[in-house]
Amino acid sequence: MRVRRLALIGAAVLAAACVEDLSAPGVCPNYCPTAGLTIADTVLYDLSRDSSFRGYVLPHRSALLLAANVPGVVDGRAIFRINGPGTRFRINPNDTTTGLIEGADSARLRMVISRYDTALTNLALAFYRLPKTIDSTTTFADVSGAFTDSLLRTLNIDSLLAKPNRKDSVTGDSAAVDTIGHTIALFVKFDSTAARYVGADSGSVAYGIRVSANSPVSIAITSGLAAGPQFLSRYIRVDSSGVPVSRNMGLGLPAFASFVRNPPSPPIDSTLAVGGAPSARSIIRVAFPRVIRDSSQIIRATLSLVPAVAAAGVPIDSFAVEVHAVLVDLGAKSPIAIDLTHTDSTMIHIGATDTVQVEVTNVLQAWAADSTQPTTFVLRARDEAQSFAEVRFYPTAAPAFRPSLRITYVRRYPFGGR
Amino acid sequence: MVRGIMGVAVLVTAYPPNRLRAQDSQFGVQGLGTPGRFESVRARSTAGAFTPFDPLSPLTEAPLADLSILTATAMSGTSYRESDLGGSTASLRSTRFPLLSAAGRVAPRLALAAGFTTYLDKSWDVTQRDSTLLRGVLQRYTDELTSNGSVADVRFAAASRLTRRIAIGGGIHLLTGSTRQTAERRFDDTTFHTVQQLAEVRYSGFGISGSVLIGVAPGLSLAGWARSDSRLRAKAGDSTTALTDLPHGAGGGLLFAPSPSVRIGGSVAWRSWSRSGPGAFNTWSWSGGAEFGSGRMPLRLGVRGGQMPFGPGTTAPTEFAAAAGTGRSFAQGRASIDLGVERLERRGTGLTERVWTVLVGLTVRP
Repeated sequence: MRVRRLALIGAAVLAAACVEDLSAPGVCPNYCPTAGLTIADTVLYDLSRDSSFRGYVLPHRSALLLAANVPGVVDGRAIFRINGPGTRFRINPNDTTTGLIEGADSARLRMVISRYDTALTNLALAFYRLPKTIDSTTTFADVSGAFTDSLLRTLNIDSLLAKPNRKDSVTGDSAAVDTIGHTIALFVKFDSTAARYVGADSGSVAYGIRVSANSPVSIAITSGLAAGPQFLSRYIRVDSSGVPVSRNMGLGLPAFASFVRNPPSPPIDSTLAVGGAPSARSIIRVAFPRVIRDSSQIIRATLSLVPAVAAAGVPIDSFAVEVHAVLVDLGAKSPIAIDLTHTDSTMIHIGATDTVQVEVTNVLQAWAADSTQPTTFVLRARDEAQSFAEVRFYPTAAPAFRPSLRITYVRRYPFGGR
Repeated sequence: MVRGIMGVAVLVTAYPPNRLRAQDSQFGVQGLGTPGRFESVRARSTAGAFTPFDPLSPLTEAPLADLSILTATAMSGTSYRESDLGGSTASLRSTRFPLLSAAGRVAPRLALAAGFTTYLDKSWDVTQRDSTLLRGVLQRYTDELTSNGSVADVRFAAASRLTRRIAIGGGIHLLTGSTRQTAERRFDDTTFHTVQQLAEVRYSGFGISGSVLIGVAPGLSLAGWARSDSRLRAKAGDSTTALTDLPHGAGGGLLFAPSPSVRIGGSVAWRSWSRSGPGAFNTWSWSGGAEFGSGRMPLRLGVRGGQMPFGPGTTAPTEFAAAAGTGRSFAQGRASIDLGVERLERRGTGLTERVWTVLVGLTVRP
């Protein structure tokens, strides 16, 4: 009995021990700690040794093929090549007997438009035959002749989308719209002329795409080996003991895809260029005061950049600029830190000339946390070479418009004071 | 049964140390903290009137001379505090373990004791809404400043009965402890990141004390004590952040036992807390109490009053308390449990605190 009583008392003591609520509303200054958190705000103009470089992502390495028709700004066209099977093709898939390929009957091209302006009217694509020699060195001038005299066919996307089930029974074209991903998958029928087979070329074909609409237009087509423009089917005629038989070559993936532009990307000058295709990056170095770096906690940092040349194009070409910390400062080849704690960003809107404010708190907090990190910003487009648009900021050498860094920070709280 | 008592003792005294946070008061937020009581449950149940005569209370050393066998004691206190600050009330709760002590006679005329008690409670948590002009815009924010921890008084004491009427004692006090302090500011505008800073602040100090117990007449005893503490050094990291003078103190008490079942006592104490800097005051405190019955369950009563050492304004905050309690011995007197309850009211500039404290003490004489 007594033991049970003692156990109850013990349990009561422990239960009473399990309460804790010390928080009280402070009525200052009488009943608050005498010291408080002190906030300071400063603007640093001590940014220097800035420079720009171009060529980080080239058009043929881009995830998107760009086509644009913005008069006075850029004329961009997508180009791609699909390699052929050679001069012979299996007559029967179950044996190795092959026959000479005599020609092509038709083909079905699949391509995905992954960025477009839904407000456009009369959006149309024109397909051109290009020489199969196109490669990463091909320029707009190299293919301008083909884009003049080698039109294969046109496709009015608005008209196609307006048809029942988005299928054109006359041309054989069809479309599928992804309303969530905002993409249009196009299935384009090429006749024997457009999908022609030339034995001397081993059946390889190259095409160019030009876009038009009732207003300035810029679109992006998904690129890549598996996602880029490709033949879903390509029907050819094969000689079978003197009798031509029709065979389907099946999937024809792009061997090369890129885009060309006119005029070419403007050369790098003394301004800080970001974006474009090929993509440009800019580097800014910051003399980060030790008093802030070592003894303070940064709660907000804002990088201010004044556009010297506004980004040009159509509104859909607006792009995000990221500010990265670098792992090591090697100039143009500085490897950038790509995790979120070392990256901040802002949107660059087409035509805007207002001062661009980029919240770079993450980057500066990373600098403060690791004093061995170089205090260097790298500015780049988030999706490099995925837009023709490019912005140029005034450099540090322009006294009136130079970049500045505004830092709001909290000094160390005087812990342990009376 | 002894095993059961020991089990409870182990549970009470070996509770995880991160819960050993001290009782607090908002009066101590701007000062060094809230001073501890230096009292066992039995003494506190008489509102401190018996403290100078209680061998298990770490205020005086001389009563240790009358301990015949090894005795260990521990206590816990759970407080339910209501603060009224300018019409704004808050209910707060906390549980503390402010005392652990062991003492016993090591020679016919020499008794030793060791233990710790709370010297300064430094646990508080203050939240505040305010605004400041940042980048040309008024930004609203919430500040939360916290301190969790205390300064403990580790005492080593010795006492001797010189004559049948006079006993003396002395002690050295090592002040040690730490607080984990945090400062946080959350802006309503999340563009400004939350400020979070923290530090572990360590405290150290030293003190000496002496006391005397005089049997004036049969049933009538007088006690006197004095104590001097040096400076409290606060260190955050490797830097000394504060060096604060600690008070000197003195006090005395009278205990009258007209019969074996009635004991009446009173005590006074003075401490020079104003040495510690602005906003601190010298304090006087008094108490009176009685214990009735010496058998199975004595009844203890008492009242106390006095001043608090820290507070805003030009006068010291005051406090008044009434306490009651009882106790029960087990295992042929080898163990006892003391229970007490205290109602305390503190008043200062604009602030009134009312506290109910439930006290549980466990004493073991193996």
